[in-house]
Parts: sequence; C-alpha cells; structure tokens
Amino acid sequence: MSLAPLAGAAAQAAPLVDPGTLLSTGGAVDGLQTAARVLAEGIGKAAVYFTIAVGLTLVFGLMGVLNFAHGAVAMVGAYLGGLVLVLFVGANTGTLATILVFFVALALVFAVTTAAGSAMEVALIRPIYDRTPTYQILLTFGVSLIIEEVARIVLTLRGIQPNPQWQAPMGTAPDVLLGRTELLGVGVRRLYLFEVAIGALVAVAVWAFLTKTLYGLYIRAGSEDTEMVQALGIDVRQAFTVVFGVGTGLAAVGGVLLMWDPIWGPSVLLSIDVLLYAFVVVIIGGLGSFTGTLVAAGIVGIADSVTTWLFTTGIVTFPGLSEVTIFLLLVVMLIIRPQGLYGVEEVGGH
Amino acid sequence: MTTLELDGVHTYYGESHILQGLSLSVEEGEIVALVGRNGVGKTTTLRTALGLTPPREGTVRFDGTDVTGMEPHEIAARGMGWVPEERRVFSHLTVAENLRVAAHSAADSDARIAEAYELFPALDRFSDKEAGDLSGGQQQMLAIARGMVGDNDLLLVDEPSEGLAPQIVEDVVEALRAASADTTMVLVEQNFRLAMDLADRFYLVDHGVVVEEGETAGVTSEDERIRRYLTA
Repeated sequence: MSLAPLAGAAAQAAPLVDPGTLLSTGGAVDGLQTAARVLAEGIGKAAVYFTIAVGLTLVFGLMGVLNFAHGAVAMVGAYLGGLVLVLFVGANTGTLATILVFFVALALVFAVTTAAGSAMEVALIRPIYDRTPTYQILLTFGVSLIIEEVARIVLTLRGIQPNPQWQAPMGTAPDVLLGRTELLGVGVRRLYLFEVAIGALVAVAVWAFLTKTLYGLYIRAGSEDTEMVQALGIDVRQAFTVVFGVGTGLAAVGGVLLMWDPIWGPSVLLSIDVLLYAFVVVIIGGLGSFTGTLVAAGIVGIADSVTTWLFTTGIVTFPGLSEVTIFLLLVVMLIIRPQGLYGVEEVGGH
Repeated sequence: MTTLELDGVHTYYGESHILQGLSLSVEEGEIVALVGRNGVGKTTTLRTALGLTPPREGTVRFDGTDVTGMEPHEIAARGMGWVPEERRVFSHLTVAENLRVAAHSAADSDARIAEAYELFPALDRFSDKEAGDLSGGQQQMLAIARGMVGDNDLLLVDEPSEGLAPQIVEDVVEALRAASADTTMVLVEQNFRLAMDLADRFYLVDHGVVVEEGETAGVTSEDERIRRYLTA
C-alpha cells in the first residue's frame, strides 16, 4: 500500500526545501537554519493535511457520520481539477491566466462535488440515520469502492492510468510555482507556498462559515446537541444535507490542491492515501473539532517534516520513518486520549 | 382558547409503555404544572408534545392544529419552546450565540435578545463567555432566556429548580414568572410547593395517566388525594 503517496521515495525526491542545503558548507549542521527549514516544510505539509481533513471533521462533527468516501472524492477532485487545467491551459497560457483557471477549477469542482455530496446525503445516508454507525461506514466505504472502480475503468479506457500518476495536469503548473524562493535565507519550494496560501484560504473560509454565518452557528450548536437544535425550530436534516455537501466539496478542494503536487498528484491511489491521512489528523485533533484539525495538521506536518529531514540527511536510513511516526502518533493519541486533543467524548449524531 | 391539547396519547421508549392514554389541555396564558413521582411520564409528556418522542396513539394539538407526527423543528417553529431538564445549553457556544440560535426565527431577534439581557443582567455581563463556563444557576437562566427569545406561544419547562441552591431557585422562579407574562407555560417540577406557587392549575400524573387535576390554589402535598401519589 502506498501511504503518503509515493511517500518515502517521492518525499525524498521533492522535499519542500533543497536537501542539499540542509547541511552547512562546513559540513556541520546549522541548527537555527535547519530548524527554520524543517519548520517551513512542516507548515507546507500541515496546510495539505488540513485541507484534506477539514471536510471529514465537519461532517463528523455535526452528523456523527464517518465518511469513508472522503478520500475517493478527493481523488475525483484531483482528476476533475486536472481535467479543467489540461483543457484550458496550453503552452502559451500566461501565469496569471493559469492561476485564474486553477481558481475557476477549484470553484467548479467545489460546486459540482458539493451538489453531488448533498444528493448522496439525501439519497443514501438519510435513510440509514436511525441505524448503527456500522451501516454508515459500510455504505460510505461501498461508495468509495464504486467511485474508485469507475475511475479505474474510465482511466484505463482512456489509456491514462491506472498505475502512474497522470502527469498532464502537473505540466500545467505555471513556471512561477516550479522553482524555489529564498525566504529568510531558506530555499523554499514555491508550489508549497502556494499550497500554504490555499490551505490558509480554506481555513479562513471554513472558520468564517462556522463563526460568522447563522448556518455555521446551527452546525456548531448541532455538533453539541442535535435534539436541542431541533427543539429550537431548526431543521437539522437540512443542515445535515448542507454540511455533508460542503464536507464533500472540501474533500474535492483538497484533491484539486494536490493535483499539481509531485508528491501526491492525481492517481486512483490518492483515494486511500487521503483517507488515511485525513483520519489520522481528525482523530489526533478530535473528531468534529475544527481547531483540533488545525492543530493536529500542524503536529502531523511538523512530525512528517522532521522525520523526512532525518531521512534525507541520512541520520536515519529507514525510508518509512515518516509514515511510521505519523501512525505512531495516532496510536499514542488513541491510548492516552481517545477523544483527541480537542474532541469531546460524544459528538454529533441524530 | 386551548393552546395545547393531548388526547389519549400512548408513548413508548422501545417496548416500555410510558404514557398510557394521557390527556390534558392547557389554555392560553395559563401556567400548568405536571407533578408526580420520578419516572411516571412527566418529561415524556413534554417530549411527546414537542414531537421529540412521538406518540404511537392519540393526538397532540397545538393552537388548534393537529401536530401529531410532525417533526420537532416544525412544531417548535410554530411557537412551542422547550427549557429541558439539565439545561442542555450549548456549552462551547457563548451566551450570545446560544441566544442567537434560539432567536433565529424571530423577526425582531435583536430586540428579544436585548429584552432577555434586561431580564437577566448576569447573562449580559457574560455574553461573550462560553455557556459551559457559567454556574448552574446562570445556565438555568440562559436556558429560560433561550426559551423566551424564540417567539414562543408556549414554553415547556422541565425541572427548572433541579440541582440549584435555594437562593438561585428564587431567582429562577422570578425569571419564570417574568417569562409567563407573555407565554403560556407547562411546568414539570419535583418541588411540589414551588410548582403550586407558580402554576394556575395542575395535573397529577401516575403510571402514564392523569390521576388528579385542578386549581392549585390551596393545594398542598398533604392533601390525601395528592399525598398517596407523591409518596413511594
């Protein structure tokens, strides 16, 4: 199974900062600069982890539904976003226009998958709310398998995949995002800075939705006590539909974000990779907690960054160090605080 | 005009038959107390009225409309408010946010919230504080205020004095009196004296049916017809 997509090897191939600069010219490790580099890389990874996890936590927070189709939707998002980019960006397309197309793709994919997610909630999830969570898990897992297989069939028929990443969308990334830029003396990959910006944008948008809109208020109240919210005259089922749709849309936005990323990129395997890492982040942060997801994404990002640095500098030669560390964090959290950093013992439900 | 009418309702939790043909009616402007021992179906009566635990038989009418089988949010949106047992404030939301959720449907929500703050100055002081950080008495005030700001014609109040110190109970009683000035109220209360002080009429519930009813004036827990149902 590929954990972080192409994790060990690919992470080594395309780290946020240039591995060659990790050691000072004299051969001794420059502690402060190295720490800055590892931190910068950690923030970049955290932005990605946050973006792929936030939709999952939103859905669980209000509805108590563990959406196992979350990763598959991210995979669809990566392909759809890639398709838009491949269709509308050519060799002569300028940087600004390409980035504009990227945002159009982001909005388009979000709109389409949000609508599809809402329809899925009404048609498939709603009829089984009164059953045990096992039914929801089996259903969403089944949906995930169907989406993956359909994707595999379409890609095989089109001669695109299944195995290697679809390279065409990555080729549409504008030059301005391909190189490195000096930031406080550290060579940081511009694509990761772009991902940090998108991650921050998603975080601010979700935060504003939750705290500044009446609907967000319903969702936060509903994540504590859905029955009480209903007793206040609010149609929680309608809120479920909206939240499931938005959660699905955010999964797809995560996919679009990963489309240009050489470590991830569009592939059918993205489905399981995204799902695993999203679960790690939301479980460590506390299922249903926005703040928890943000903090956990930071922790997992930094852990990933530190372990990647240990591997790329040869201090540790085990290539799976990063994955092992991240999943070890998950295990430790489940043992010492099963509800996660910011989680409550019972959330959501209906 | 009859605000709430339950007619021969049978309500179950799974296979447990809780309300066994209970009937009652509440007239506009009244405070009606439901009294009885623990576990006889008082809270279930409120839950049945609001559709949270719908009856399998019988009808619930609210303001003349049959609301049996309607979703709780539909019934609540018609003007039935609930101040539940154990308060159930949204502990991670601020006081102001708790009130905003409750006042969502009121046309003049800001004015209603301002009125609630006037009535409960402590809530105004702590409006930016998370409800979970309030004391038990303050949380009860918030639960009542939440019921008041929601443009309700009827307020179902469940065990408002439960777990509160005597001094705080007095404040809660005053708050309920204030709330009842423009809202009809059904009150479930273990404290018999308090219930009789507040209410105009009472229903005594036992084993899921009404066994006694009448005006509250002059009624004490020592009356033989009451005592035999209140003692175990």
